[in-house]
Amino acid sequence: MKKAYNENWIENLHIQQTASAWLSKNLLTKEQYEQVKALFPEQFYRPGIFVKIGLFFFATIACSFFVGFVSIFFIDSGSEIGFSFLSLICAVCFTVFLEYLIKNRGLFHSGVDNALLYAAVSAAMVPVFMLFENAGFWIYGIVALAILIPVILRYADLLATLIAFGVLFTLLADLMMKFPLGKALLPFSVMILSVVVYFMAKKNKSLYYQDCQKVLEVLSLFTFYLGGNYFVVREGNALMNDFSLPVSPQISFAPLFYFFTIIIPLAYIVTGLRKHDRILFIIGLLAFAFSIFTYRSYFSQLTPSQELAVAGALMIFIAWAAIRYLHTPKHELCDEPDGRRKLANLEAILVAQNLGQTPHENGIEFGGGNFGGGGAGEVY
Amino acid sequence: MNTQTILNALISKEVLSAPQASVIESYEATKPFSIHWELRSVLYLGIILFTSGIGIIIYENIDTIGHQVIIAAIAALTAACFYYTVKHSLPCSNQEVRNPNKFVDHVLLLGCTLFLALEGYLQFQYNVFGSRYGLAIIIPTIIFFACAYRFDHRGTLSMAITGLASWLGLTIAPLSILSGNDFTAERILTTAVALGIVLVSFGWVSDKKDVKKHFSFTYMFMGGNLASIAAIIGLFSHDLKIVYFLIGIALSCFFVYRARHAQSLVFLLMGVIYGYTIITYSIFTTVGEDAAIALGTFYFLFSSIGVIFFLLNFKKFLGIKK
Repeated sequence: MKKAYNENWIENLHIQQTASAWLSKNLLTKEQYEQVKALFPEQFYRPGIFVKIGLFFFATIACSFFVGFVSIFFIDSGSEIGFSFLSLICAVCFTVFLEYLIKNRGLFHSGVDNALLYAAVSAAMVPVFMLFENAGFWIYGIVALAILIPVILRYADLLATLIAFGVLFTLLADLMMKFPLGKALLPFSVMILSVVVYFMAKKNKSLYYQDCQKVLEVLSLFTFYLGGNYFVVREGNALMNDFSLPVSPQISFAPLFYFFTIIIPLAYIVTGLRKHDRILFIIGLLAFAFSIFTYRSYFSQLTPSQELAVAGALMIFIAWAAIRYLHTPKHELCDEPDGRRKLANLEAILVAQNLGQTPHENGIEFGGGNFGGGGAGEVY
Repeated sequence: MNTQTILNALISKEVLSAPQASVIESYEATKPFSIHWELRSVLYLGIILFTSGIGIIIYENIDTIGHQVIIAAIAALTAACFYYTVKHSLPCSNQEVRNPNKFVDHVLLLGCTLFLALEGYLQFQYNVFGSRYGLAIIIPTIIFFACAYRFDHRGTLSMAITGLASWLGLTIAPLSILSGNDFTAERILTTAVALGIVLVSFGWVSDKKDVKKHFSFTYMFMGGNLASIAAIIGLFSHDLKIVYFLIGIALSCFFVYRARHAQSLVFLLMGVIYGYTIITYSIFTTVGEDAAIALGTFYFLFSSIGVIFFLLNFKKFLGIKK
């Protein structure tokens, strides 16, 4: 599949970014960095994240009103065929715009191209739904994949990758649910498919698909863990068999799933640290937290508040100990921030959102009701 | 493409000498793996979980523990937090202070949160402030402002701004501006607009006068969102539309100007979205319902294409070099 974005520029961009990282570590001189920028040029339009959001927002508005605009010419034919035809025309127009903008304005996942791509794909899907009314899920799934996979190969789009991954696993579940044995083997089949996806994604060496590869790694690590997680399997089993008991029944192979629940997060964390793989490490941490949740759902003697306090205290202690321990780098690990604090402003806003609310909650207590919420102004 | 191929490319273009390349290569091979942000996130989450857990436990066991004990404990912890912060703080400065101590920021935040809890407790149990609720809120607000400037902490600053807003009866947390405030009351609306404008101007002044320049983002972002949203609501649902219109447009223009000045694109986005909403609404209410329905499709299609064109070329229009 021919790639939509200029591959040379993507490589040059990567070289520039690496060079700038080396510059910040004083491994390159300023002149050398300028030389790199001149010798490996790229002309992508890459605005900041906020401009991207704005572009995406307004491009979505433009796309939806473009559909309205085109539909003016189809006012008489309210039939399904007319509607399918309309959406096909829109899909073609969006794709043409998309290609034009990428070629001439150097867009590179800049919001507008994302919006146009999603609009084009959704418009292309409409006739399918019209055509196969009441068909099984697998038809929709296969058609969706048939559209999405070429799109991913050409545009390397992250959301398309995410949706294709979701469709793939839903297809698997749909297939397995058709057989009685399939239901029992569903967790294992999810785990196997995850492994396959993970190692196929790992095999990618092309920079073009680097971000898609990361998305696939993250998702498949999650599904692999969740497929083997005791809580998910037990509750899912109860859900699938419609047991209307207050407590979901024990599952077969329970010890095996206990084992998975404990060992997978630990394996993720240890491998992540040893191979310097941040994705593995962070997902390992999240999975570990979910494993603790799993344990407490079935075995915990503590009340929720005690659990919160104990978990919080442990987390503070572990983080504190690790920070102290890594004061000087050890075992190829360190506690130095990578680069500047880019998110300092965002952190402050998050504090306002989470902690800053407290005066208000106090307010409720203070005033015995008439003081809470925004209407507080009336009190004084 | 890995380090080796990049280095080879750089050598072949004669940017790098072979010895320098080998230095870089050995640096890449031995550089340690930083888990700084992961550890900080665990620490933050731990603090949030721990404090909420302890809070609920105390609430559940208030009868057995006794109020004095709890108050003494919280007070002691708060004092310890502030003592630690003071002991490890650097001298006051009008610039951004970079403290090498890794815990001070978090301890200060914990101390401030605990102080709020302590105060709320005293009021709840002993009614210390009586019905002078304003006093109960303005005390922590003042303390937080002082802490924010003395210890150079943006998180505390935003807590202080939140406190100031709730002293005036407003919610300013970004995601709760709409749900937390009852904007049907004219008084709240005007207060919100006024406070927002004051905060924005304060941020602007601190940037101009070079007093804690890095605080200006927090002031402007929080105040700006509050004022703009309040102005838009005012425009939609109150009389005096022309006043709210002018305020909203002025704010939007200021944000765009600010984006150019500070090269902070979040302000560009705020300016464009708020401005677009205000102008669109004003046009449609002026031309009347029938014309609005007839023109709607064309208006939205072409105006959004216009905005996209502006955003694609904003560097050229605003004269941003970078």
